[in-house]
Amino acid sequence: MQMLELRNVSKHFSGIPAVDNASFIARAGEVTGYLGPNGSGKSTTIKMITGLIEMTYGQILFSGKPIHDDLIAYKRRMGYVPEEPYLYTHLSGAEYLAMVAQLRDLAARSSAERIDGMLRLFSLYDDRHASISGYSKGMRQKILLIAALLHNPDLILLDEPFSGLDVASALVLRSLIQELAARGKVVLFSSHELDTVERICSHVVILHRAKLVADDSIEHLRSLMKLPTLEKIFAQLAVEQDSPAMARQIADLIDA
Amino acid sequence: MRNLIEPLIARLPLDFRVLYHQFLLRVIDLEALSIQADIPRFLGQFAGVLMMLSMIHTVGFYVSLVSTRAPQDFLAVSWYFEHYFIATMMLVVGLFTVIAWDSTFPDRRDAMILAPLPIASRTVLFAKIASSCSIWLLAVLTLNFASGFVLPLVLGYAHGGLFGFLRYLAAYWFTMIAASSFVYGSVLTVQGLTALLLPRRLFLRLSAILQLAAFGLFLGVYFLQPSLSSPPVLAEPGNQWIFASSPSFWFFALFNQLNGTLPPALAWLAYRAWIGLGVVTAGSSASLLLCFIHTMQKTIEQPDLVPGARGFHWAPRLGNSLTTAIGYFTLRSLIRSRQHRVAYAFYLAIVCAIALSVVRGSLTARAPAPLTSGFLMSTFMMMLFAIVGLSRVFALPISLTANWVLRIAQLRPTEKYFAATRQALLWIAVLPWWIVSAVLSLSFRPAHQVVAHLAILAVLGSILADLSLIGFFKVPFTCSYLPGKSNIQYVFWFFAMVIIPLVASGANHELHALNHPRELARLSGGLLAAALTLWAFNRHRARSAVLYYEELPEEVITTLGLLSPRSFAAPGASHAEVTHES
Repeated sequence: MQMLELRNVSKHFSGIPAVDNASFIARAGEVTGYLGPNGSGKSTTIKMITGLIEMTYGQILFSGKPIHDDLIAYKRRMGYVPEEPYLYTHLSGAEYLAMVAQLRDLAARSSAERIDGMLRLFSLYDDRHASISGYSKGMRQKILLIAALLHNPDLILLDEPFSGLDVASALVLRSLIQELAARGKVVLFSSHELDTVERICSHVVILHRAKLVADDSIEHLRSLMKLPTLEKIFAQLAVEQDSPAMARQIADLIDA
Repeated sequence: MRNLIEPLIARLPLDFRVLYHQFLLRVIDLEALSIQADIPRFLGQFAGVLMMLSMIHTVGFYVSLVSTRAPQDFLAVSWYFEHYFIATMMLVVGLFTVIAWDSTFPDRRDAMILAPLPIASRTVLFAKIASSCSIWLLAVLTLNFASGFVLPLVLGYAHGGLFGFLRYLAAYWFTMIAASSFVYGSVLTVQGLTALLLPRRLFLRLSAILQLAAFGLFLGVYFLQPSLSSPPVLAEPGNQWIFASSPSFWFFALFNQLNGTLPPALAWLAYRAWIGLGVVTAGSSASLLLCFIHTMQKTIEQPDLVPGARGFHWAPRLGNSLTTAIGYFTLRSLIRSRQHRVAYAFYLAIVCAIALSVVRGSLTARAPAPLTSGFLMSTFMMMLFAIVGLSRVFALPISLTANWVLRIAQLRPTEKYFAATRQALLWIAVLPWWIVSAVLSLSFRPAHQVVAHLAILAVLGSILADLSLIGFFKVPFTCSYLPGKSNIQYVFWFFAMVIIPLVASGANHELHALNHPRELARLSGGLLAAALTLWAFNRHRARSAVLYYEELPEEVITTLGLLSPRSFAAPGASHAEVTHES
């Protein structure tokens, strides 16, 4: 069975841990939510899983094999949507996707058909020859999604994939993530939108100050902590400040 | 001097000073080259090169003038150099306007950032003009720093003693500033009018084409127009249309009108300069003002999304899928990124100048000429500059933050990426200039020698491509750039002292070999062996190399020598004792 497994993964920057001893499993057929406040180490973990940054300690395995044993074979099976929509903005959407297909050595004709089809489904077809520099944030996000799915990956890493999407596109993406998981893909989904995570994820991993504080199904966490929603669970595990009090302080400072 | 200037600057409004500084940094657009680019140092180097050129030209002028005997030759030499200095000044300012294209007009970034701030539009306008003019004035002053004194001294003093010198001095500097203002103002007028009349998205597209057209126009006019070899050339009826249409001759006449030596028959040329200057001053002032009133608003109001060009989007494969991906990425980056286009244009200016010089010689020739070492040298130089230029530009990043996609999709070994990069260099730098050389060689004979030279040039292109890619294990335009590696002055002198003599000697050797088949076979075999060795060397190194995206500074390890035998010896111990003990 396909699964992504992290074993005691740590990443230190100048001796300071950004991710400390993280271990969890994301299984095929389910969407694993990866949550945590800003700076907790979510994106660092995902970058280690993609191979973009080296881990300090630990091991990452996909389908039981350490990913660094054959990183190229692993990359062929992985699709990644990064947190920020960084793209080569001097290319058009169609040119960028064609370049990604060529870099991934996909067959020219079938990838061209797939790109056209996905551009149509994501409502980008009419603007496919326009420069990405003119695209809105949502349009860039769609290009990132298409580029990540173009090669039919087995492992899909989504770092804030709903960022900038309109309501209709977000609904489509939400269903798409569930559909891909149902088709046997391993999906790791990082987001701040707890409502969305609660709807589409069956299993969540919560990170706080570089350490894992929860790794369980949402149902089990709810019953275990006797809390009704993921938001409350998250607030209890990973939010330290009193939010209303802090809001009052900010407003007071502006008024002063 | 600094003590005088600083209080004056301090009296300027703070918002103007802040904006001026920001815009000055963006005139050359170095931010694309490096975040830590040292702009004052770069400008210092730029000024240094222009001052060197000024000194070289001035020495040439002085030596030519001193070696003339007859009065009519004296006039011919002085006219030739006067026109040459003016035309060169106009070319330099013209190329500067190409490099600093669009920098005087507010772009979308300016509009979005500055419009919400409480800053008057006129402050932005003055800061923009001041920043552009600073570089332009720097070019005028440094390029004329030697000739601007020596020419008036030599010619003015000969005409009227001290008064003559002062009159020539004033005439010289006025003419230079007027001629460069004319070029700068003409570009501003054309840009301003197109920005005003066209919808913004059409203007943006046309602006890139205009930039290239201006680049070609400045170089073409400079290298193809006739030089003033003798005063009678000015009177030839066949040349009148050239003088009437070439601004460098107008300003040459203006200079002579101001210093009081212009023959009355040429007064019409000087009037053209006055009229041109007036039209351009009015046109550029009006378009600048109108642009700042209308364009800022238009820039904000226009939609972000510029529709893509309709029609043809055919992109044939250039080899395997990786070669195609890197080839198109390279070509598109070069064409669409203003910074990369401008950086490569600097090298292309030299290549085009060489090509145009050859074209000019061919145009005047009545029949095919025998191959000369000058022609062979020109083709070598074109190839050299095209390859060196492109490989230098390859090293400048386009969007470091977007490189993640290349790293995520890096599914092949480094040697494949290296091969694709080499292919891109051959397609974009070697092939076009080899074709240009082939076209230029049509006016040379015998044909078998021309064919042999073109074959040698192709092999040389391969050698130069491999030489420029030694250690280049990266995808073009994707690696971070460490500033301070290039030193224009050293490069200039290295080129002048080493490369030019080397190429000249190579061209002579090849010309000799073309007339001796055995020598030719030996030369071709040697070059082919060198090409294959270099290709194999790079390929071998690429097999074990890792593709990199960050240029790291070389580690400098300073040994303290604490473990050396001497460090353990007693202070008074001799070297012999220490060595013996160790």
